[in-house]
Amino acid sequence: MHQSILFAILQSKMDYLDPGSGSMIIQMVIAAVLGLGVVIRFFWKNIKALFIGNKVEDQSDDPTAIGDVATIKDDAIQSQKE
Amino acid sequence: MPQKVSGSFRDPSGFVFRHDGTLYRQVNKHYQKEYDLLMSSGLYDQLTRSGTMIPHSEVELTLAPQPELAYKVIRPEPILFISYPYEWCFNQLKDAAILTLAIGRRALQFDMNLKDASAYNIQFHQGSPVFIDTLSFEAYEEGMPWVAYKQFCQHFLAPLALMAKTDINLNQLLKIYIDGIPLDLTSELLPASTKLNFGLLTHIHMHARSQKKYADQEVSQQDVENKVKLNKRTLLTLFDSLLSTVRALEVRTIKTEWADYYRDNNYTESSFESKRELVCGFVGQVSPKTVWDLGANTGEFSRVASDMSITTVAFDIDPGAVQQNYDQIKRKKEEFMLPLVMDLTNPSPDLGWRNAERDSMKVRGPVDLVMALALVHHLAISNNVPLTSLAEYFAELCEHLIIEFIPKEDSQVKRLLASRLDIFPDYTLEGFKQAFENAFTLVDEKPVEGSARTLFLMKRK
Repeated sequence: MHQSILFAILQSKMDYLDPGSGSMIIQMVIAAVLGLGVVIRFFWKNIKALFIGNKVEDQSDDPTAIGDVATIKDDAIQSQKE
Repeated sequence: MPQKVSGSFRDPSGFVFRHDGTLYRQVNKHYQKEYDLLMSSGLYDQLTRSGTMIPHSEVELTLAPQPELAYKVIRPEPILFISYPYEWCFNQLKDAAILTLAIGRRALQFDMNLKDASAYNIQFHQGSPVFIDTLSFEAYEEGMPWVAYKQFCQHFLAPLALMAKTDINLNQLLKIYIDGIPLDLTSELLPASTKLNFGLLTHIHMHARSQKKYADQEVSQQDVENKVKLNKRTLLTLFDSLLSTVRALEVRTIKTEWADYYRDNNYTESSFESKRELVCGFVGQVSPKTVWDLGANTGEFSRVASDMSITTVAFDIDPGAVQQNYDQIKRKKEEFMLPLVMDLTNPSPDLGWRNAERDSMKVRGPVDLVMALALVHHLAISNNVPLTSLAEYFAELCEHLIIEFIPKEDSQVKRLLASRLDIFPDYTLEGFKQAFENAFTLVDEKPVEGSARTLFLMKRK
């Protein structure tokens, strides 16, 4: 299943770029690590609670939220001013 | 006769061409589905409304130079001056990188993704970076990794990391490596301490090792077996990781040798003002459409033109000065100035396939007006350029010229002559005028009050 995905990438008619097999693989590795990081952060309060035993409040941080492009640009410009 | 732009050939989705001086893009049938998706999904509207992508209008299909392949012909809003990532200061490249990632993220929301991430897809337009490659979007397929990841790392992350961690001028490597700086080289040049930075460790160092490991190798089933399937959410976290890695890279806008210029020389406040007034008067006399300020430093005098809403490109050899200028442009939201890094003794050459993909500085001119203030002595004395050769060079670049002659009595020139033999007998006011009289008519000549300098307005013969 995964192999067919890779073949599909390499034969995709839209991609005139050579994506590089090493780059594809490391990307998947990094994504896995990052994904784990997201999961940990998402459930951090729950994980903490296991040890501290506090009440868990609602997670308001939605990792899938997409910021506004203009906001991102402004953010970037803002963070450089600092 | 429509002429294909020689740098536009790699993408089967379409190409750029010129007709009667206007730039167009042929959208091929190959790209029909994606183009329609871009336009109908709302992504085009969002990106153009937010000023992040260049808008276009659809024109008659009859203009297509290759009608058998053509689906549409579009006319993008023109960029007034094309520039390249090896001419940008750190913050310009950083903003271009952030823009690319922001667009990639936004595209995913509309079930599209960027199929390339080249630094040449960004241009500066009315003061800020803008995405110009309308045909860069592809339909997003669940499970597919980002095919442009390698290109992003080589075009953006590598030069930014090198500029921030090793040497401010290393984006010049982009002149040699036209598809971005190779990651193994980047990994070698970066200090070992960058391996402690999660983003640089993964996206540069580990990425370089992975490239080397799988070079020319067919990826086997086993290698792929344990890897995570990439969905939209993981792609977004990848973009976020790249974004935070880029954002964390910094080159402080330090005061460099040139940035301190205005404080440290023997300008008095009033001679500075009198020079500014003279320049203002000369610019008003010429009324140019475009101005190139050569050796512009932080853009003090460039602003005489840009404040009059004249498109001004401010070139300087010092990336620190260019960055100071760029920071001001962003702060004040100036729309008529583009600052660029340029060494006039070795300006940008023609690069790429057939030396025709990236234009030399000269080819991007000539312009109505060039300003060469406090510049001549650096070229004539520090670089031994004969005054007549200087005059011939400027004549290639412009129709009108505002130029300042600084004599040997001035402290700036004395400094240049302090450590070397004075082999410049013709470097005098008379010698200067004689050298320029061949190529130029001396329209006006005014002394700069409170100094020994002279300002000229010249017109090419």
